[in-house]
Amino acid sequence: MEAKYDFERKYREQILRCSRCGFCQAVCPVYGATLRPGLNARGKMLLLKEVMDGRIDLSDELIETLFQCTTCASCTHNCPSGVQVPEIVKTARMDMVNIGSCHPAFTGMNEVLKKHPNIYAEDEAEEFGREKKRQAKYVFFAGCVGLYRETEATEAALAVLDKLKVDYTLIEEVCCSGVLEDVGFPLNDALVQTNIDRILATGAEAVITGCPYCARTLNNKPQYAPLRAQGVLVMHIAQFLQDYDLGVHTHKKVTYHDPCDLGRHCGIYEEPRQTIRKLAPNFVELPHHHADALCCGAGGGVRGAYAKNSIDMARRRLREVEETGAEVVLTECNSCVHNLGNAKLRKQKFTICTTTQFIRDLMEEAG
Amino acid sequence: MLDAQIKDALIRIVGQQNYTDSLIDMVSYSYDASEHRARPSCAVWVENTAQVSEVMKLADREKIPVTPRGAGTGLSGLSVPAHAGIVMDLTRMNKILELRIEDRLAVVQPGLVYADLEKALAPHGFFFPPDPSSGKVCTMGGTVGTNAGGVKGAKYGTTRDYVLGLEVVLADGRIMRTGGKTIKNVSGYDLTRLFVASEGTLGIITEIALKINPKPTVTTTAMASFNDLEDAGRAVSEVMRSGILPSVLEILGRETILAINQNTDLKLPEVDALLLAETDGYTKTETEFQMETVLEVFRRNNPGMVKLATSPEEAAQLWTARKSAYAVLARIKSHFVLEDVTVPIGKVPALLKGIQAIAKKHEIQIATFGHAGDGNLHPQILYDGYDPEQVRRMEAASDELFKLAIELEGTLTGEHGIGLSKARYMTLEHDAVSLEMMRTIKRAFDPNNILNPGKMALDAA
Amino acid sequence: MEFESYNMPDELYYDPNHYWVRQEGDLLVMGMDDFARKLAGQIVFVQLPEEGKALKQGKKFASVESGKWLGKVYAPVNGEIAAVNEQLETNPGLINEDCYGAGWMYKVKPDDVAEVQSLLHGTEAVQKWLTEEIAKYAKGA
Repeated sequence: MEAKYDFERKYREQILRCSRCGFCQAVCPVYGATLRPGLNARGKMLLLKEVMDGRIDLSDELIETLFQCTTCASCTHNCPSGVQVPEIVKTARMDMVNIGSCHPAFTGMNEVLKKHPNIYAEDEAEEFGREKKRQAKYVFFAGCVGLYRETEATEAALAVLDKLKVDYTLIEEVCCSGVLEDVGFPLNDALVQTNIDRILATGAEAVITGCPYCARTLNNKPQYAPLRAQGVLVMHIAQFLQDYDLGVHTHKKVTYHDPCDLGRHCGIYEEPRQTIRKLAPNFVELPHHHADALCCGAGGGVRGAYAKNSIDMARRRLREVEETGAEVVLTECNSCVHNLGNAKLRKQKFTICTTTQFIRDLMEEAG
Repeated sequence: MLDAQIKDALIRIVGQQNYTDSLIDMVSYSYDASEHRARPSCAVWVENTAQVSEVMKLADREKIPVTPRGAGTGLSGLSVPAHAGIVMDLTRMNKILELRIEDRLAVVQPGLVYADLEKALAPHGFFFPPDPSSGKVCTMGGTVGTNAGGVKGAKYGTTRDYVLGLEVVLADGRIMRTGGKTIKNVSGYDLTRLFVASEGTLGIITEIALKINPKPTVTTTAMASFNDLEDAGRAVSEVMRSGILPSVLEILGRETILAINQNTDLKLPEVDALLLAETDGYTKTETEFQMETVLEVFRRNNPGMVKLATSPEEAAQLWTARKSAYAVLARIKSHFVLEDVTVPIGKVPALLKGIQAIAKKHEIQIATFGHAGDGNLHPQILYDGYDPEQVRRMEAASDELFKLAIELEGTLTGEHGIGLSKARYMTLEHDAVSLEMMRTIKRAFDPNNILNPGKMALDAA
Repeated sequence: MEFESYNMPDELYYDPNHYWVRQEGDLLVMGMDDFARKLAGQIVFVQLPEEGKALKQGKKFASVESGKWLGKVYAPVNGEIAAVNEQLETNPGLINEDCYGAGWMYKVKPDDVAEVQSLLHGTEAVQKWLTEEIAKYAKGA
């Protein structure tokens, strides 16, 4: 039988390898928050198997599960059969979009990025009072969440770079558009080209970003190859800071939340910890950490399409923070900061912020 | 499709948000971890015993099948809704109702995940000894419904040995209690034991009183390789006869070892069998003394290598092979069937050899591993499920496998249950009188045959 | 009153940022009006600052979010936060269910309760304002 959809052409063998053991239920954040097996990785694979076998077809009815996956890859990490669920789900999303079945939040997102330079359709980016477009060694790329939601985190990152006298410039950035591939659409070529042009115009040898997702996009997507072809490196600020001696310390009990996009997806676990341990000797790990870290629930478009469940997932992660008794939970992703921040209950007294924000605060306290 | 009136009645009982007949739920509820599939008409998420009772009253009145379900990790089709109807998902009833360490008692709801029970007991230095391999996800209702075992069976027994009492909702909605909260209880018929391993066919379990044990703090681990299956089998028998009880005695067969080596960097010795043993206790002196007995048995049965772990890291390494078996085997062919035939401990070598012969005869790959210490082996038949010829061979091999187990005075299933997978072999193991008595009991509890119908060969006349 | 399918109770005062205000003893209660609630969609997060936080008229003191929309909450009068609707912490959807009742957001202790009079009030004024707002935001909505 000729494969009808891309997901089958590319991943048939993997989908068949799913042995229905259900072990993914132990780690899937969507399942953890909803206890609904239809939304779990196994449920998704079973549905796709039935599509491949011709028992059912892709349709609007599958939107609720195929578009409700944070692509955190916890399932893959725990799957005895090594099924790469996020990749399969993303391809299935594209197949869904091709037949006209897409979650309205995402069709919307694709349209938004055709007309606006960011995913929020907002016109007023935060201004940080730093120069843009000058010639410099580094470009700092904030990403949409950093420009429109977690502006404090961006300001802090810039303040730290200033203090360290790093030669950087901002640019008139536009959305890296990587998120579109997560929700069934191709990257936006116009936006990609704009970013490439503006980065190259600065003559920078590297891009530093606070957003792990932007880092992944610029590093891995073929559309950004011209950037890499010019030898421009792209790194997350955690990688940039790891060898600096920041000269500040705290006695506070600090813990760290591994963002999925930095941890499981990029294998970057130790660099942030290296920096944190230098500042905060009283460091504790969360019950689930490194490759076992619990997803905050924001990724894969879930925060936009299924916000209530997204925040419930974040709440589950914050219960782990409570268990450690930490006063501060640090992370390296603005999206995580945002979702966890929304989910935090008033009675939970710990603070949530990026490592650079914490560093900036300590620097200010030190005078 | 469910009648609109019945749908409304169900929604009135559980609430709109706890009823579903949407495609994505119906498909996922069609499956468990076995190769069976059957679609239900709808599913409900129940939150308390009262709701379970009301749903059963309705279902009994309207003669609609009800299939209870926890995490859906059963390997025999126990929670597959073979006759459609309602799937009752109990995972939201997931609390620990009481934890009384001084009474060695934990009262839990059926949807509680095993790992969450362990997490709650650990700070008190206690544990629930049956340690099913699916513990990270499986739920206690299913654990009781199948009398789940695990790697600790040789020393600690199975779930059945730890269930003190139950709250059960019967097919007609009546609620009853069995047993109690005492460690010993011989008051009246032991209905608790009837419900354990009843696979959801006699009632819906809504509360479980469990006995818990203090957890030994020290373990010693060792592994030995055997070039000859007979030697390995003899070693197993002799260990179990030696006067000490290892807490774990697991075996990995040759096919399994080869598969592991092909798919990992473990570089295991390619022999007929690897035995993994563990002893536990409260002091190193104690566990090492017990392990010395085990090692002596290994040494006098022609081992290739014998390795005693001298650190927790080394112990973890020895365990990796056993833990990776299922995963590695699952990747080899598109389909597999995992059996759990069990024989008297002394018959383990004969079973292993018999499995090898069956695999050869039917030209099909069967990899074996399992709980040698209590005679419970897991032959995993690997095949391409899209090739009708291989399916045929798998079925022929399965047939012979069960016949072999019965011939060796064994049973069709040590821990996974009968469900759908082994229903047709029940007559191999049970005489006509006992089968008729099982059906009589089923009729007494569930005259309309709505509780998980079509399972365990209970339907056949 | 009902106006162009929006429910805007007559007795309330309206901040042009679409927050309603009413008096309750010597406190002011505020929340989101029907127009904003409909435009925002399902509310998923309401920021609930600490009691006692100082409020400056016209200045943002909290935020409200639906899936992708972030709304700023502006203080309609000078004063301080006396209370917040704690139910909104785990059930922000109350704003969608009942924006004038159970979905109230904050209680304010005003410096000068007379400042309320600077807000929009009365059928005519509210209708005129709403007509402009509909033209601005809700065409084709």
